[in-house]
Order: sequence, then C-alpha cells, then structure tokens
Amino acid sequence: MKSDSQKNYWRSLDELENTPEFEQFLHREFPVAASEFPEGVSRRRWMQLMGASLSLGAGVVGCDFPKALRFPEETIAPFAVRPENRVPGKTEKFASTLEIAGSVRPVVVTSYDGRPIKVDGNAEHPEGQGSDQYIQATVLEVYDPDRLRGLTEFKGEEHFDRSWDEFEISWKNVAEELGAGGKLAVLTQGSASPSYQDSLQKLRQRFPQAKVYQYDSITRDSEAAGVQAAFGQSVTPKYHLDKADVIVVIDEDFFGMHPTGQRNSKEFAVRRAPEEGEMNRLYVVESQFTTAGLAADHRIAVPATRIASFVADLEARMAGGEVAEPAEDADRHEKFIIALVDDLKKHQGKAVIAVGPRQPAEVQAAVWKLNQQIGAIGATVELIDAALPTSGEVGTLEELTTQLNGGSIDTVIVISGNPGYDAPANVPFSDAFKKAKRRLFFGYYNNETSVDADWVLPEAHGLESWGDYVAADGSYCLAQPLIETIFHGLSKTEFVALLAGAEEKDGRTIVRRVAKDRVGYATESVWKKMVHDGFAGGVAGKTQSVQLADNIAALTAEKGAWKQRPAKDEVELVLTPGTSTYDGRFANNCWLQELPDTLTKLTWDNALLVNPTTAEALGLKQGILATITSGGASIDAPVYLMPGLALGTISLALGYGRTHAGKVGGEVAIGIDPVGVDVGKLRRSDAMSVVTGVQVKSTGKSYLLATTQDHHSIDKIGLAEIARRIPTLVREGTVEEFKHHPDFAQHVVHHPPLESLWTEASYDGHAWGMSIDLSKCLGCNACVVACQAENNVPIVGKEQVSKGREMHWLRIDRYFAGDPEDPVAVTQPVTCHHCENAPCEQVCPVAATVHSDEGLNDMIYNRCIGTRYCGNNCPYKVRRFNFLDYRASDYRFEESNRQLAELVFNPEVTVRNRGVMEKCTYCVQRIQNTKIDARRDRRAIGANEIKTACQEACSTSAIQFGDLNNPENNASKNHKNPRAYAMLAELNIKPRTKYLARIRNPHPWLADPFVELEHIPGHEGHVETDGEHAHDHEHADHEEHAPAKTESKAAQ
Amino acid sequence: MATVDEVADITLETPGKRAPLVTGGLTFSSITEIVAGVPEQEKPPLAWYIGFSVSVAAMGMLFALIGYLVFTGVGVWGNNVPVYWGWPIVNFVFWVGIGHAGTLISAILCIFRQNWRTSINRFAEAMTIFAVCCAGIFPAVHIGRVWVFYWLFPYPSLYLNMWPNFRSPLLWDVFAVSTYATVSILFWYMGMIPDLATLRDRTKSRVHQIGYSIAALGWTGSARQWSRYEKAYILLAALAAPLVLSVHTIVSFDFAVSQLPGWHTTIFPPYFVAGAVFSGFGMVLTLIVPAREWFGLKDLVTTRHLENICKILLATGSMVGYAYAMEFFMAWYSGVPNEQFTFLNRAFGPYYWAYWTMVTCNVVVPQIFWFKKCRTTPWIMFVASIFVNIGMWFERFVITVTSLSRDFLPSSWGYFEPTWVDIGMFVGSFGLFFTLFLLFLRFMPMVAMAEVKSVMPHGEHDPIAEADHV
Repeated sequence: MKSDSQKNYWRSLDELENTPEFEQFLHREFPVAASEFPEGVSRRRWMQLMGASLSLGAGVVGCDFPKALRFPEETIAPFAVRPENRVPGKTEKFASTLEIAGSVRPVVVTSYDGRPIKVDGNAEHPEGQGSDQYIQATVLEVYDPDRLRGLTEFKGEEHFDRSWDEFEISWKNVAEELGAGGKLAVLTQGSASPSYQDSLQKLRQRFPQAKVYQYDSITRDSEAAGVQAAFGQSVTPKYHLDKADVIVVIDEDFFGMHPTGQRNSKEFAVRRAPEEGEMNRLYVVESQFTTAGLAADHRIAVPATRIASFVADLEARMAGGEVAEPAEDADRHEKFIIALVDDLKKHQGKAVIAVGPRQPAEVQAAVWKLNQQIGAIGATVELIDAALPTSGEVGTLEELTTQLNGGSIDTVIVISGNPGYDAPANVPFSDAFKKAKRRLFFGYYNNETSVDADWVLPEAHGLESWGDYVAADGSYCLAQPLIETIFHGLSKTEFVALLAGAEEKDGRTIVRRVAKDRVGYATESVWKKMVHDGFAGGVAGKTQSVQLADNIAALTAEKGAWKQRPAKDEVELVLTPGTSTYDGRFANNCWLQELPDTLTKLTWDNALLVNPTTAEALGLKQGILATITSGGASIDAPVYLMPGLALGTISLALGYGRTHAGKVGGEVAIGIDPVGVDVGKLRRSDAMSVVTGVQVKSTGKSYLLATTQDHHSIDKIGLAEIARRIPTLVREGTVEEFKHHPDFAQHVVHHPPLESLWTEASYDGHAWGMSIDLSKCLGCNACVVACQAENNVPIVGKEQVSKGREMHWLRIDRYFAGDPEDPVAVTQPVTCHHCENAPCEQVCPVAATVHSDEGLNDMIYNRCIGTRYCGNNCPYKVRRFNFLDYRASDYRFEESNRQLAELVFNPEVTVRNRGVMEKCTYCVQRIQNTKIDARRDRRAIGANEIKTACQEACSTSAIQFGDLNNPENNASKNHKNPRAYAMLAELNIKPRTKYLARIRNPHPWLADPFVELEHIPGHEGHVETDGEHAHDHEHADHEEHAPAKTESKAAQ
Repeated sequence: MATVDEVADITLETPGKRAPLVTGGLTFSSITEIVAGVPEQEKPPLAWYIGFSVSVAAMGMLFALIGYLVFTGVGVWGNNVPVYWGWPIVNFVFWVGIGHAGTLISAILCIFRQNWRTSINRFAEAMTIFAVCCAGIFPAVHIGRVWVFYWLFPYPSLYLNMWPNFRSPLLWDVFAVSTYATVSILFWYMGMIPDLATLRDRTKSRVHQIGYSIAALGWTGSARQWSRYEKAYILLAALAAPLVLSVHTIVSFDFAVSQLPGWHTTIFPPYFVAGAVFSGFGMVLTLIVPAREWFGLKDLVTTRHLENICKILLATGSMVGYAYAMEFFMAWYSGVPNEQFTFLNRAFGPYYWAYWTMVTCNVVVPQIFWFKKCRTTPWIMFVASIFVNIGMWFERFVITVTSLSRDFLPSSWGYFEPTWVDIGMFVGSFGLFFTLFLLFLRFMPMVAMAEVKSVMPHGEHDPIAEADHV
C-alpha cells in the first residue's frame, strides 16, 4: 500500500481531507464520486469515512501483514501445531544466495521466529568467505517501511491500489494489443540468474518482436572486452592469490567491489602472517585510495588516465633484461617500477597482475599479455568458463532511448533498475520514457524512474524469494525464501514469467526446473541437499585452455607520462561506486549511509575527494563547496582533502543525490533533502567512470561534512602528537625486522613495572578474549555493519554524527602517515577491550558496568543512570552513549512503520534506552547460547566454536575470538604470538583484546616508509623495565634510550 | 554601651594595636537598626525589584530548560564522545567552588578567632548555600536517566538489591556535597537564630512575626541559651572546618581518580581547595562591594574587611598560579608523553584561548592586590572579582573539556561546542542564585548582628586598646 508511507504527513484533519488515502478510500467505496467531494453523501456518512480513514492509520495496517509477521498479535499461545524443527525463540540458519551490488554471494541467513535478522557469507562455498557491508546491511531493507507495498496503477492524476490478479487481467489486454510485441521493450539489469534469464527467454518467445535492453550504471564490461581481446573468447578470470608471491593491483578495488573481492581478500590475507610462511608482496598502482592500496607493501598513485602509460612502461621494461638496483637518488616512481619488474621477473609463475574495470579494454588486454609473460595464467589466475546465463541479444540504454524517442516503442517495462536516476547525461532516458504509451516499473523501491511509470509493481526481496545464480566461479547457487513476501512482491523471475504468460508462475517451480536442466539433478533428496547447502556441490566453471591472441595492439601511451606531475589544469574526475550506496540502490539503507567510509570516514555524504596538493593548486579547501564543470554541465560538491589520491585526480562517489529514494536517502517531494550530490550530469556514455577535461573551482561556501574521525581540523601540535602516537598504537614492522626480532611489537612502549592497587581476579574457567591481526585487516567495514546488525546498534543521522555521537560499537580507526601527497594508511578495528582492570568499572557510581567471572566487561543497561563517567575513563573511547532516544528517533515512521522497522532487531540483544551507556559485549549473547548448548549436550565448548559477529563477517579472519584459557583457541594462540601487543597496556588495564602487529614485506631495494617512524615511538627516556615481560630487569640497563633495532640485535 | 570613634586609616596595621572592626561610631542599637532595617522596610528599593524580576526570569528559563532536557535527553547539550562531560560539570564545580567561601569564613576563621569575619560571615554563608543549590542541580540533571538519580544514594532497595559502587569517586561526591550542604545549612541557620529572634521582636507585621517566631525556635537570649548556643556553634564550626577541605578535595577526586591525562594528578586536592577558596572569595567580593554600598553597611563591612578579602584573593590566586605551573612541571618531570601533550595542548592547542583567559584572570589579575590602592578601592576590586569569577569558570572548563577532548587515541579526538541550552542553563543558574540571594537580602538579617556586637568593644574608653583583648 503506497498510502502507508504517506501517513505521517497528516498533521490535522484538514490536511487529511486532501490525502490520496482518503481519495482512494472514496474511490473504493464510491467509484462514481471518485475524485471530487462526495456529493450525495450525507454528512453522517462523511464523518464515518473520516473516522474510518483515521483508524486506517492506527490499526488496519496491522492486519495487512502476512502471517509470518506476528508482531501485532499480542498472543502468548504457542503454535497449535508447531512447525517441524522449530523451537520458539531459537534462531535457525538457512543457506541462500543473494545477487547484490553486481555480484553473486552465497550466504547463510539467521532467522528468528520466521524472520531473517542477519546475513553472513556461506563459508561452505568458496565465494562465500566473510562478507561485505552490502550483505550485512541488506536485511535492513527487508523491513524498510519505504519499500513498495503493493501494486499501484496511475491514471492521470489519480492512482489506484491494485492486486496482481488485476494486473494480470490488465496485462492480458495489453499483450493482446501487442500481439507479437514489436512495440514492447524490456529494460533490465545484468543478472547471473539462470531462472531469470529463462523467464526472459519465455518472454521473448511470447513476444518475438520484443526487444530486451540491459543497463547497469556500474559495469565491468571493459574487463570482459579485455579478456575477449586478449584471448578471443569469453572467459572469466579466477584468481588464486594464495599461490602468488607477488600481486600487482592496478586501479582496482580488488578486495572490495571486485566480484570475488572477499575470496581475494581471504587468499591475500592467508599469506600476510609472517610466522605462517613466506609473505606475499602487494604492489598497487591506483588513482584512488582503496583497501588494496591500504594493504599494499608499495603503493603509487597514478591518475586513471595515465595508468595506460604505466602499463606500457611496465611492458617495455618486462621485455628488457634483468634490472639492477636503482640509484639511491632515483625518483619514487622509478624505484617502484624497477623493484616491481625485478619481482615479476624473479617470481615467474608466482605473480599475478589485476587491472580494474575503469581501464579500457586495450589496457586490460595488455595486462593479460603481461600475465601470460610472467606465467600467471594457469598458475595464479585461471580462466574459466563461468557459464553465465543469458537470454539472448540485449540492446543498450542509448538504443532504447532512441527507439522511445522515435516512437517505435509504446510499452516499456523497467525491471529493477533506475535509469531515471543513473542514466548518463547524454542519454535522456527520463524524457524518452515519458513518451511511451505504457510504462511499467517493477522494483523494490519507488525511485526516479518509477515516478514516471503508470504501473508500479513491487519486487520481493532476495530473502523473500526463490532464485538461482551462477557465482563468479561458475558454481550454481540456490536462493530460498526466509519469509513470506511481506508486501505482495514477486521475484524478477516470477514477474517476467507472469508477463510471458508462462505455465509456471511460482518461483520455486521455475527454479527447480531450471536447476534440473542446469545441473542435471532430479531427485528430491538431491534438490533438498542443494537447498540446504545453498549451492550445487561439484559444479564449477571449467578451466579453459586459452591462447593469447597474437593481434593484441600495443599500447600507444607515452611511457614516461605516468611519472610526471600533471599540469595544473589537467584534472580528471573519477567516478567510483559509493562504498555505502553502490550505484544508488542502497541510498535508503541507513546502516550503509551512516557507515563511515574506510578512508575518508565520511558518513551521509559523498564528497569531492582531492589530494591536498591538487587542492592547493585548484584553490580548494576542506569542507567548502566546489563547482565541477564538464561538457557544459556543472554540479556543486563539498571538498574532502584525501591524502593519497593521485595528483590531478578528483573523485566523487556514485549513488548519492537521490531525489526519490525514500525517507533516508532523500524524497524531495515531501521535503526530505537528498543525501549527497548526484554526479549524473557529468557522466556520459563514453565516460562513465573517468571524465577528463574537468574544471573545478571553489564557490567559497562551506558545507558540513559528518565524519567519524578528525571531526575537526587538527592543529600543528595535534598533528605532531598524532605522528608520535600512531606507531605506539598501530605497531608495524617489516619482515626483516620480524625475522630478527619477532617480538619487536612488545618493545615499542616502555613503562615502569605495572602494579595494581588491589588483588587482581584470576580467571580459571573461561577467559574470553579477542585478537585482531592488523596484518590482515583491510578496513573493509564488513565487521562494522555486522556488529550493527547483530547488536541492534542504532543510527543517529548526519547531525548527530557531526557532533561526534555515532553509536557504532566497533569502529575502524584510520591513520595516515608519511607524505600527504603519497601517504601510507593503516586501519585498526577498535572495540571494547574488556580490560581486566577496567577503568570504566571503577568509576561507575551505580555499578552498572561490572566484570563477569569470565573476564567480560558487562554492561547492565537497566542499572545505568548515565553519568558517562565510564566513557571519560575509557582510554579507547569505545563507549557509546544514548544522548537522545535513538530507538525512537525514526520520527520519520508512524507507529505501524516503526513496528515494521523493529522487526530487524536481534531479539537476543536489548534495545537500549535513552540516557544509557552501551558498548561492545564480545557478543555475549552468542557466548551464552553456546554455553547453554554445550551444557545441554554435556560437552565442552569447542575451541573455536564461538564466533562474534565481527569475526564471522571478516573475510580475512583478522578477528579471532575465544577462550584464552583454551590453548587450542585461535585467539589464545594469537595472544601468544610474538607479534601480539596490547594497545595502551602501559595503563595497566590488561585489555583482553590484543593486536597482532602489522608486518609489511617491502622489496629490499625500496626504503621502507616505516623505518623512520619506527624510531620515534616510546623511547622518551625514563625506561625502567618493560612490565609486560618477565625479562624486564635484564633489559633495564641497555634498553634505556636504545632504539628498538639496536636493542634487538643486542638481544640476539 | 560604648562606641567606636572613626579611625583615620583602619587598614593601617599598627604593631600592638588593632584597627576597630566596626567604624562610623556605630553602637549596638544602631547596628541593629541598620541590619534589621533592611528586612523591615515596607518596600524594598526599585533596584531590588528589577534585580529580582531579572533573576526570576533567568531562573524560570533554567527550570524550563531542565524540563526540556528531561523530556528530550542530554543530547540537547553539546556533550559528545569524547567530551562526555561538558558545561554541566564545569558549572557544577564552578558553583561548588563558590560555595566554599562561606563555610571557610564561618568555620575556619571562627576557630582561628579571626574576628573580622563576623561582618561578612552571614553573607558568605548565604552565598555558599545558594551556590551549593545551583551546584546540586547540575549533576542531578546531568545524568542520562534523571528519573532514577536516587540510585546514587545507598538506600536499601529491593529493586536494585545492591549497594552503589563505593569505589566510584562520583559516589564520594554525592556524600561530600550532600554532607557539606547539610552542615552549611545547619551552621548558617543556627548562627541566624539570635538575629531572627531580634527580627521577630522588632517586626510590626503579624505575618512576619509568625514567620520569624517559627524560625527563631523560641530564642529568648537567656544566659543559658547563649551558653548552649556558643558551645553548639563552636562544635559545628569544628565539624564544618574539615568539610571545607573535604568537599572540594572529593570533587577533585572526580577528576584525579580517573586515568585521563590532565585529570590524573595528585596535585588536584590542594589545587582545587585553593581554587575554591579563591573563587568563593571572589564571589563574596562581587556581592559585598555593591551590597555595602546599597544597604549602607560601610561601617560594618569596612575597608579593612575588603582588604583582607583582597589579600586572601592574592594568596589563593598565587597558589592557583603555582598549581598551574606545577602541573606543567610534573607533566614534564613525569616523562609520560601523553601527560606532556595534554598540557602542551591546553596552552597551545585548539583551546588555547580558554587556557590563557584562565591564566590571565586567575593569576595575573589578582597580582594588582600587591598594591594597597587596589586593595582599598572598591570599584577596582569589584572589577577584579569579576575577572576572578570568569577565570575560575574557565579553569574548570579547561580541566574538564580540554583533557577530554584529546585523550589517548587520536582517532577519538573531538571538539566541544556548547549549544544554546548549555548557555541558557548556565545563565539560568545565575538566575536561581540571585533569586535566592535577593530573597535572603529581603527577609533575613544579612549581617550577623549578635556576632558583630560580640567583637565590638563594650564598656571601655579606649576601644582600640580594648579590641586587642576581644
């Protein structure tokens, strides 16, 4: 029901008279008196109507929810017949698959009393390792009050609620009129779902003349084109980073947006622990700062348009002979490429180069040629036949627009896309769309396209429908519904089947038939296993033997260009997928909107990222609005100074500035401003991600950016201090250092012996603890959203974030070091450290935060009165305070809508009150559940049985958790790792979370950027002993004023 | 009954002789006339009405804002992460500090037989109690769930089924401030009984008579009553004296016991006590200079009194200055880098303006009191006292906010910006203070008549020589 979402704009009865609801009510009751004041209706009847429509808001909506949602009923009676294996109050897990943000993700969904509340990667599947922010946040959209709630038909100024039956009748008439369907166009997004493609084929069969068009705002088409150019056939690369000693990533978000980003992350991280074997080495050349750049051993920023030059240079040098160590005074770029060439030559068959979709096909092809040359193909990267499904030839959005303008199409069906918002500026889709006689929109939300449609049809969420997908590795994955469709939605497959008038209209039947065709499984038991596992075992893309085409054109780019500083007016604008919004489809997801970007820490906005040096040249300053002009169009965007962006590159994220996204992402019609800036006006179909020839100038107006770190600009003293502190907080070293002195991280900070004021508790039973391996953390943010989903962490909105009141229990600290033009960045996830000597506990006057006998720092919400003293005394500042009532701060929602939104809550975690302190609990609910299970089964808790939400979400296994008293537990092992250190241990707080120092593996020829920093920390004198170790006093003499390295040699 | 003749310069210290404490040829009866005359006026002067309406308006704003706060949440203030404590705690410490002077003057100076205190002690004690009222409001409404503030008290509760956490300085604070408030009120009230009886006996209004009668607890002035009274008074003074030290010591523990750089320092107790005496006397000066002018008390509160207050300001101001310097020294000497940064950051970081305002007002300004001219010129000392008030508010701001805004992890550094509610509540607290104070001036004897009379020479011809023996 569309009407629901508008209910909250009723302020008074006067306003109510004009609401569409009321009109609709009249339509239904008195079709004759449709749109005017109900003549002939007695005043008495009028009042009844008013009363009825008022109560619509209060109660009737409740009845509208399907049976699976049991919230409005206040019954305490159990099921009359309990569904099999259903234990009320107990969570169940189901395997499924989601096609999300352009990639297919096998997932495991946690369901509580019939409603999905948490989505994680399906670890059984190779592509299901860990997760990312989109997977974690998708469950919020299931219960988004803004989602489409029913079918609506628009006729002129009026609109009518319809049912699917009504639509079918209407469509039957249309179909008859269409005949063979020459005037029918279907616009869809790319999809790897065989069932969906099957339905599309059925549609094509019914309307042979109909044309299918495909448009995605963000594509990887150039990759496919590059592969095609290189090998003459369509194959899909499958990287094996665990086999690579040297990894080169060129202008690619390899551990993030890449379709196999999570597997890449995992395989990369496997080789980042020096004690577990030889480390890999990562070289990154990129225009942006990505998580790959963050993890890199060597990174160099090159404008996107000059990457070709770099690849050409690399090609030329690889063709040459052995390289010699560069001269000491050689420039940074030169040293970088020489070392890289050296490594590539030395690691034949053990290196791999990946290049991102921003780069044109010829660069892609050149990189494949290089991969062939270094023996990567077949070793570190396989080319497989992923057998991606297709329904046949598809047209482009430009073609559709032309056809529409030409009047040769009168019925257009848009299936879950939003070209009205994300079409490039040179493709005026919206105007063309309006020219069609019939405009059908099928999607999850109302959006900029649906506003022009005359039928708006609701799509079911991926967690509400059957489906099947081909994952990036070619495996066949199944999706099963976790909940009945809440608002009458159909899956895309079902919808298209309905359009096609197919016999099979039910998603399950279609999927089952397609599955049988696809993998040849027939029996019920095999099907059941497939549904249970979420994928078909043993089905994967076959490795193709490929032959490099011999006609690959040599790159024409000038070889030295990438090393030169761009001219002042030479500015390229790179448009990146929004880490929160992707292409705009997640704009109404408040968890994602409030998720701080890994590098910028920006929430609720996209900003024009500019390197500080470039900014100076362009006269831009942090937080001011700049006008960006290209091709006659211009937009204003706030400036964010981003160290490490290539010089001459400016960057903006896509997916912001939505005008019809919803109450989170912006709904201009009802006065909710868009979030961020829409960059669509600057995009052209030939420049979808890199726009050149851009002019930027400052408007001088300032703009409030809400960041979760560096809330305010930092003065000189502060900067100097940060530089001093970072090495003591995030401890880093090189492989060499680690070999010589494995426990170097424990000697960074020195302090007097630590003594406690009182007798310390001992923990003989369980002792829960955590370890976070900074060598493996890529700062991908999955853990942050996972924690939010698991622990009912509220969102607070832009204004509150800008005040520093964000509520995330787990945050990722990000620090830059080195030259702002070309810095290194580190990330450090910080949660409550559950200190054994917890400073917060001692100062709470009402004992609302106390220690458990297993070492957890427990927070007792209902005893907390909110003095906030604990927060002051917490050195990690991980405590979060409910300054306002953030539970109910969704004032956007009516009561009924709020009830819907509340369905996403994890019932095992208390929803916190206003005025109460909260913080990470180490997922105590998971600990308790496992303890209960173990006790019931009369067994010991498994060494690594308990996983916290963040740990589960982590693709790289950087986070480990468990019983420190159990030697088999990973966290316990990590605590004994020589790299382990406790942050701020000098305060004698005995944190239960330890970090494993980050180890970099630089090429010996390249100066390690951290050597200088290594000497700064902690040696300010007055070193007495190192209280963390038994051998304190032996160190006492020679440790004084001795830098770590000398000391390490002495120790040897 | 003897009178005292005017002495040319009562601030001149002649060895072997002491200047009289009361000048202007006042007699026992004329003192009563002057002091009791104020509440006995038919109508207070217009200025009182103006002052009172402004104060009541501000107080109304305070309570309206408290209502808004309770209904909306502490998010209406500028507090954030990491600055969990902002203006409310600053205001709390500020008012508690001001509330220091009264009991110090009454109790400690009483025990040390500093007879000059008698003219100002009633006044200062009233100020103390009203300041403590203001102070008490802030921590109470500062907590997130105001409606359960009483959980801070150790009362047997089936609901909580436990005691509060006795290790928490905040709990000590609850005890310290409530004890201090109780004893101060007792002390003030007990000291006022003979004077209330005087008012009762003099008043012609029936209503006043009933009111004062109840308040005077049947005081007749018999020798037996005086004997009991004096004993009780000195006992209460002895009881109150350590409280003067304890209350601000414990307030300082709120900071010192935490481990935050800038808070975690052993110098805090004496530093806070000195600061509190400093701010208390500053406020006494701010109030008494105009009051003695408007109410004709110049002969009771003589230049000598003012000069003594100025001397105390000079002494405590310098102590506070020493503490500031010592904090820096300790930060450097301790060798703890975080500690060093905190102090560097205070002086030169984003809050440098607050720090230097504090130093100027608290350390530099009081140095003018080395000059006798400044110690004896009311308008100069009034201006200086305003500086002291401002400076001491900033001292608490500097300690609370700058330390919190930049602690251990740079990722969590922040900056505090007050909201209009912060400002409104602070202004409102002055409204509450002055409302109470103006009511006190209107209805209560603002100078301890009985006590002043006790330090006046009686029955002797040489008042100056006699004064030595009092």
